[in-house]
Amino acid sequence: MDYLYHILIIALIYSIFAQSLNLELGFTGLYNFGHIAFFGIGAYASALLSLSGVPIPVAALIAIGLAGIAGAFLALPTLRLSGDYFGIATLVFAEMVHLLFLNERDITRGPMGLPNIPRPDWIGTGVTSLPLLLAVVFFAAAVTFILLRIITNSPFGRSLKVIREDEFVAQALGKNTFLIKTKAIVTGSAFAGLAGVLWAHYITYISPSDFTLQETILVLLCIVLGGKGTHWGPVIGAFSIIFFAEFIRFIPIPSEYTRFVAPLQGMIYGFILVIMMLKRPQGLISESRGQRTTNA
Amino acid sequence: MTGYYTQLIVNGIVAGSIYALFAVGLAMVYGVFKFINFSHGELITWGGYLALMFSSPPIALPLYLAVIPALLLTVGIGLAQDCFVFRPLRQSNPISILIASIGLSYLLRNGIRLFWGSDLQSFNLPLSTGIIFGDIYITRIQILMVLSALLFFSILYFLLTRTLLGKSLRAVSDNIELSSIMGINMRKVTWTIWILASVFAGSGGILLALDTSLDPMMGMNSLIKAFAAVLLGGAGNIWGALVGGLFIGITENLSVAFISPDYKDFISYGLIFILLLIKPRGFFGIAGGVR
Amino acid sequence: MLLKLDGITAGYGREPVLTDISMHVEQGEIICIIGPNGAGKSTALRTIAGQLIPTRGEVRFKEKNISAMSIAQRGERGLVFIPQGMNIFPNLTIIENLEVAGTLLNDKHKLSHAIKEVLEKYPVLNKKQHSFARELSGGERQLLALSRSILLKPDLVLLDEPSLGLAPIVVDMIFDQIIEIGKSGSSVLLVEQNARKGLSISHRGYVLELGRNRLTGTGQELLESDEVRQLYLGG
Repeated sequence: MDYLYHILIIALIYSIFAQSLNLELGFTGLYNFGHIAFFGIGAYASALLSLSGVPIPVAALIAIGLAGIAGAFLALPTLRLSGDYFGIATLVFAEMVHLLFLNERDITRGPMGLPNIPRPDWIGTGVTSLPLLLAVVFFAAAVTFILLRIITNSPFGRSLKVIREDEFVAQALGKNTFLIKTKAIVTGSAFAGLAGVLWAHYITYISPSDFTLQETILVLLCIVLGGKGTHWGPVIGAFSIIFFAEFIRFIPIPSEYTRFVAPLQGMIYGFILVIMMLKRPQGLISESRGQRTTNA
Repeated sequence: MTGYYTQLIVNGIVAGSIYALFAVGLAMVYGVFKFINFSHGELITWGGYLALMFSSPPIALPLYLAVIPALLLTVGIGLAQDCFVFRPLRQSNPISILIASIGLSYLLRNGIRLFWGSDLQSFNLPLSTGIIFGDIYITRIQILMVLSALLFFSILYFLLTRTLLGKSLRAVSDNIELSSIMGINMRKVTWTIWILASVFAGSGGILLALDTSLDPMMGMNSLIKAFAAVLLGGAGNIWGALVGGLFIGITENLSVAFISPDYKDFISYGLIFILLLIKPRGFFGIAGGVR
Repeated sequence: MLLKLDGITAGYGREPVLTDISMHVEQGEIICIIGPNGAGKSTALRTIAGQLIPTRGEVRFKEKNISAMSIAQRGERGLVFIPQGMNIFPNLTIIENLEVAGTLLNDKHKLSHAIKEVLEKYPVLNKKQHSFARELSGGERQLLALSRSILLKPDLVLLDEPSLGLAPIVVDMIFDQIIEIGKSGSSVLLVEQNARKGLSISHRGYVLELGRNRLTGTGQELLESDEVRQLYLGG
């Protein structure tokens, strides 16, 4: 039962993370492959602040804010790049942030990571902590879902979609596309930071290896599989991937084969990405539009 | 003190030759097909590991023979990538191909982990005996690296400037539509590009493995450097990529004298980031074109 | 009849650009297609060349239906297309451009012989044979593009806007070369924005408008026609 809580919490956190990327990638057409950096910034910021005594809610808010600011910092120079170059620039950004996590040992303790990240007192680490945590994370995920739904159905959200389909048209309509895109990235980064905060305080131990290209691929997979540009798509994708990842552990595998599990999983993830691009780039849940051209 | 810096530069040239090999392959693919192949790094890794496999028991070929099947298989992987993934996606959005190549790279990298595990491996060869020129120390294998790179580039130059196939290749990367009007055989050109890119990557991987070691991430790490080199030289410009590779090798190694070695990779990342922002066409860049 | 178009309907998307187009070229003729922007002139040429497959109608070349053949296949049969705009390879030298342009000859000896012929005919290309094509002037580039006709000696050469972007003096030179190509045994079908110039060297012409046949006649007739004058020759 504990284990079920664990999987649900992880899946919910990832669904927040995936939805936040979906705002940028699915709705605005911004292929931000550096999104993990904001997850990491949220996690490290909240962890470090709360470890030095700042009350957790305050630390969390500051961390989310920092993640959003970092998003702006990334957006400003990179938004003028074309699609695939933008993807690469953001990817490289994430790698640089990862290097910083790894090497600024004075602050982050480098590869040794930050253990003993505190949880709110009323949750603690005891027997009742998991259901309470699940409630908190579920609440956060629900709020995220609702907020993002409001955002994407608003006029702002509509302009995001116009930008995704044809930026020139958006500009012709008088929109300041640069500002709108920046806002999208800042919002997405802030939500990613939220996911990071939840992660840090749930797992209570973070290290740079939690925030690498691998996680980027994983969240990309959630969106690609689930369906970008939809509300439920990234959620379904996140749950599918996380459940699949954890489900494997239940299969009784003789110990001499356990070392094959992780690589096989990795191969399957890679394979799914490739197949989705080849056969169904719009994902499992596709945006229902009359005559939508399939731009992956 | 100059001996110290000279040594660093020599190290840089050695590393740079290999980066140049990787960069040239990446540049060729970009020049013709107009996409960044994220899974190029895995050709490097597979080349190295396959050579290890063929030169270890039970097959236990001597290394100079083992490279042949290793490279042949690497070429096979490269051609398969194009045939099953890239060619069907040729007319799609560039992002689809990028994501597909990310997926491919993940697939291939984990394939290595599956068959060989994640631990460091190495060739057990006494090639690391060194030679000393004055203040400079260089190993036999490192000399081999530079010479191999020189050889490969000479062959490439000859191919591109003296054979009709090579000229057709350059034509295709200049203007693919005009090339089909001219009646150029696209399949031949496609195959040639992937064979060249795979051979360069695989050989570089083998050499790199001989000089250092093998690990599943070696391709990915090299890919970043290669990509930085391609950007420096102008996306699609082969000889620019060569110069870019050397430049990065030398800069990285010289930087050790000034900044912490942990941040060596930061140079490539930073370069990529800056170049993308200010000059995505590089310093020798002219719109596309393999030259 | 060398080339015959019968009721061609073709386009790039949902709406057809050409509707029910018919025309023909006899051996030894120089034919010019003129018309306003958007008339579909280049589209017609591209359909004949093989870049576009017509949704209706037939393209017949030397009595055979070539509508489904690739550009290269049509080239092998003697139908050569010289497109507009970037029609040479800027990062290849002149010699290399000629080598590639002669790909369809499939014979090293024939190719080197043909290249010699081109260089003898065009001393300016001969002088600059090792320069990169990107260094050439507009007129020199067009000359290089046209020389593909001398290389391959096609039965019919399709020229899309040969005067595009060229200064008037250079245009005259290019059109002299087109006449030469006509004299040397290749028939010519050209699309021209510069209607006056185009018609002046042509035996016959077709006027297209909004994707349909509008007028046809000899070059002279069309030049003198009041209608054509008003609409396309600037009164």
